[in-house]
Amino acid sequence: MNWLGDWLRELILVVLLAAFVEMLLPSKSMERYARLVLSLLVLLTLLSPIVSMLKGDATGALSLAMDQQEQDGGVLTGAGKGAGSLEKILADGRMLAAGVQEQSLKFAAEEVAGQMRDQIAGSTGLQGAKVTVKLGMASASGSPGDGAVPVISSVTVALPAASPAAGAGSGSSPAAGTAAGPASEPIVITPVEPVQVSLGADQEEDAAAATAASSSETPDSSRPAAGKGADQEDVESVIRLLEQNWNLSREVIQVQRSGAGAEKL
Amino acid sequence: MEIIQVVGIGLLSTVLILVLKEQKPMFAFLLTTAAGILIFLFLIGKIGTILGTLERVAESSGMEMIYIKTVFKIIGISYIAEFGAQIVRDAGQESIASKIELAGKVLIMVLAVPIISIIIETVMKLLPT
Repeated sequence: MNWLGDWLRELILVVLLAAFVEMLLPSKSMERYARLVLSLLVLLTLLSPIVSMLKGDATGALSLAMDQQEQDGGVLTGAGKGAGSLEKILADGRMLAAGVQEQSLKFAAEEVAGQMRDQIAGSTGLQGAKVTVKLGMASASGSPGDGAVPVISSVTVALPAASPAAGAGSGSSPAAGTAAGPASEPIVITPVEPVQVSLGADQEEDAAAATAASSSETPDSSRPAAGKGADQEDVESVIRLLEQNWNLSREVIQVQRSGAGAEKL
Repeated sequence: MEIIQVVGIGLLSTVLILVLKEQKPMFAFLLTTAAGILIFLFLIGKIGTILGTLERVAESSGMEMIYIKTVFKIIGISYIAEFGAQIVRDAGQESIASKIELAGKVLIMVLAVPIISIIIETVMKLLPT
């Protein structure tokens, strides 16, 4: 029964307000129109339980509609606000369009990267290459009135490190069996040395263990650069393939061995 | 007593305007406008007090603020339109004055549009289809 009390109180207040405001109005000519709006308000208050039952929040919907009216220019001040809101709407539209475009570019870039990876795997036999494609928008040449078109702005291919194990797995790979140069160091994990804990023992023993561990790694890093030429061949073939299939210029293609620095061409 | 001040301003400006009208009708019109604005500014504080009281009462009794906002907009539109129309009418442009009043009426009706749409939607939902 609480809602009934609220409803009655609101109704009485609205009627009182309407009577008061009618007194406040300046002239007879406006009075009929103002009275219409006021009586509509009273009617809405009367109907508010039914409205909220059928439609949800009546006053919420009303305030939403009023806010919309305000944004469309408002009844009191007019044009200034309207122009601002138009600019805002246009800016919102541009922002939304940019967001959608960015998303579609990202999706297209992923698709292109997948296709490039398949092509590289198919024609050069290099499995597991990681292709990253960046798409950008460029204005269409020849037709300045036309909108921008997406172009491939950069392609980064990270070829997998050619390890002896991988070479054995894929026999067709040109990199098979080649020893890794300094640019493509295979990861060697030395087994964990037995840990000896001796409380209060001399430091020399620990120091000796540490030097032994470091010396075991040194031969790996000082391996001769034998497979450098084969690597270069791979890189060249990948670049040539991408150039031919995707009509790209050499500047945008970047091929690197994983774990090594970029081989910018 | 502010009413005496208001009546005094009104009488004074009327006499001055009657004198001026013979010599310079343009200045008479300006004086009319100035007197009107002066009286309006005198009253605007009082109107503000009334509206503030109404707002406070409505807020304390938990009435929806959107109702009171609509009512205030009606009052504002009718006062501004009436004031402008009176000034223009004093200058002898009856047709423009009626256009200003028309604009005021239309804008008050625009305020009614959301309310009418909600009521009509409710009624349409109540009706069996």
